[in-house]
Amino acid sequence: MADDRKIPERTQTVPPPSRDAQMDALVGYLLLSGVSLSMALIAVGLLWHRLRTGTFHLAYPIEGMNLFEFLLAEIRIAGQDRLRPQTLVDAGIAVLLLTPYLRVLASMLYFLFAQRNWKYSLFTAVVLGVLTFSLFLR
Amino acid sequence: MVPFYLLFPVSIVAGFIGAMAGMGGGVVLIPALTLLGVDIKHAIAVSILSVIATSSGSASAYVRDHITNLKIGMFLEMFTIVGALTGAAITLAVSSRPLYILFGCVLLGSWIALLVSAEHQSGQAGPQDRTSRWLELEGSYYDLSVGRTIDYQARRAYLGAPLMFAAGVIAGLLGIGAGAVKVLIHDLVMGLPPKVSTTTSNLIIGVTALAGTSVYLVHGLIDPGLAAPVILGVVAGAFVGTRLLVRLSNQSVRKFFLVVLIGLAIEMIVRGIRGH
Repeated sequence: MADDRKIPERTQTVPPPSRDAQMDALVGYLLLSGVSLSMALIAVGLLWHRLRTGTFHLAYPIEGMNLFEFLLAEIRIAGQDRLRPQTLVDAGIAVLLLTPYLRVLASMLYFLFAQRNWKYSLFTAVVLGVLTFSLFLR
Repeated sequence: MVPFYLLFPVSIVAGFIGAMAGMGGGVVLIPALTLLGVDIKHAIAVSILSVIATSSGSASAYVRDHITNLKIGMFLEMFTIVGALTGAAITLAVSSRPLYILFGCVLLGSWIALLVSAEHQSGQAGPQDRTSRWLELEGSYYDLSVGRTIDYQARRAYLGAPLMFAAGVIAGLLGIGAGAVKVLIHDLVMGLPPKVSTTTSNLIIGVTALAGTSVYLVHGLIDPGLAAPVILGVVAGAFVGTRLLVRLSNQSVRKFFLVVLIGLAIEMIVRGIRGH
């Protein structure tokens, strides 16, 4: 947790909820559930692997795939009813990568539709565009 | 391949120390992994992946407290993500030795920063410049310690933006959050209140780390066998570390971290010079 100094304990006395506050809450829950889901998937995958093989040692590479190829490969395996522990671990990693991505997407929708702030809709679109490009990178 | 019973506890400790010191897990994690025999580029790749988890985990709490400034975050992210892509591309291109030396230098820099530990004042004086005003870089938050709402305006966005690009390069290059660098830019250059700068930098770190990770992923440097125990460990360690932060005296944490940092810095630089 990179920069968490000097942050006071949370209390109930925060200003009245505005649209901004609702957005903050949405972003907060998105991040929290993304990370929690990812951790749960990885943990269950590792434990399952342990039960199957008697070791926590997972050895398989992700051979030069971008996130979307990676996701497609996983979905294909899951669709063929060959759910393996490593599928869960991979899904956990994918969820982790998608978490900040979805956060940016949510921010863009917020600036676009709730705020109607064109300047920031554009900025967020740039961020989303660069991230999409980098996740499609070959 | 490093065994699980070593990898997992080492990652917990790295995440724990990182959170206690208010730095990301990566600063401790990467040297620790290389000591265990992990190749430095794989260590960097798995570290930046774990940075997504730790920063998003802590960002979630702060965003809900309404301290984070989404606009400032979004504006600066445009620069940090391009920086991170650049940094990661450099890491792939160079050999390991300069990475060791560079990492050692960053550790040394953090050590000096912690040693001096100047309570820097954020430069709130003077009117907001036109660029920053046009960018709507302002906000307000409710400060619990003083019990009132604080309004603030960010300054010198034209200077902050290229500096954030540089911070992104460091993050992508070395696989760390580089939160300390970002906070310094927020505080000293843009004049954000400390609370806003730390939380907003946390939000930026997650997206920046994602950009860096995407480069490492496509080049096959993300090894799930390594990533799974490391991420779980770092997140668990950081979770405990953040909660202990309030209870332990700052002074003892600082002294402990000073020793750890200088040791790791020397070790990394020596390895870089000797070449293995």
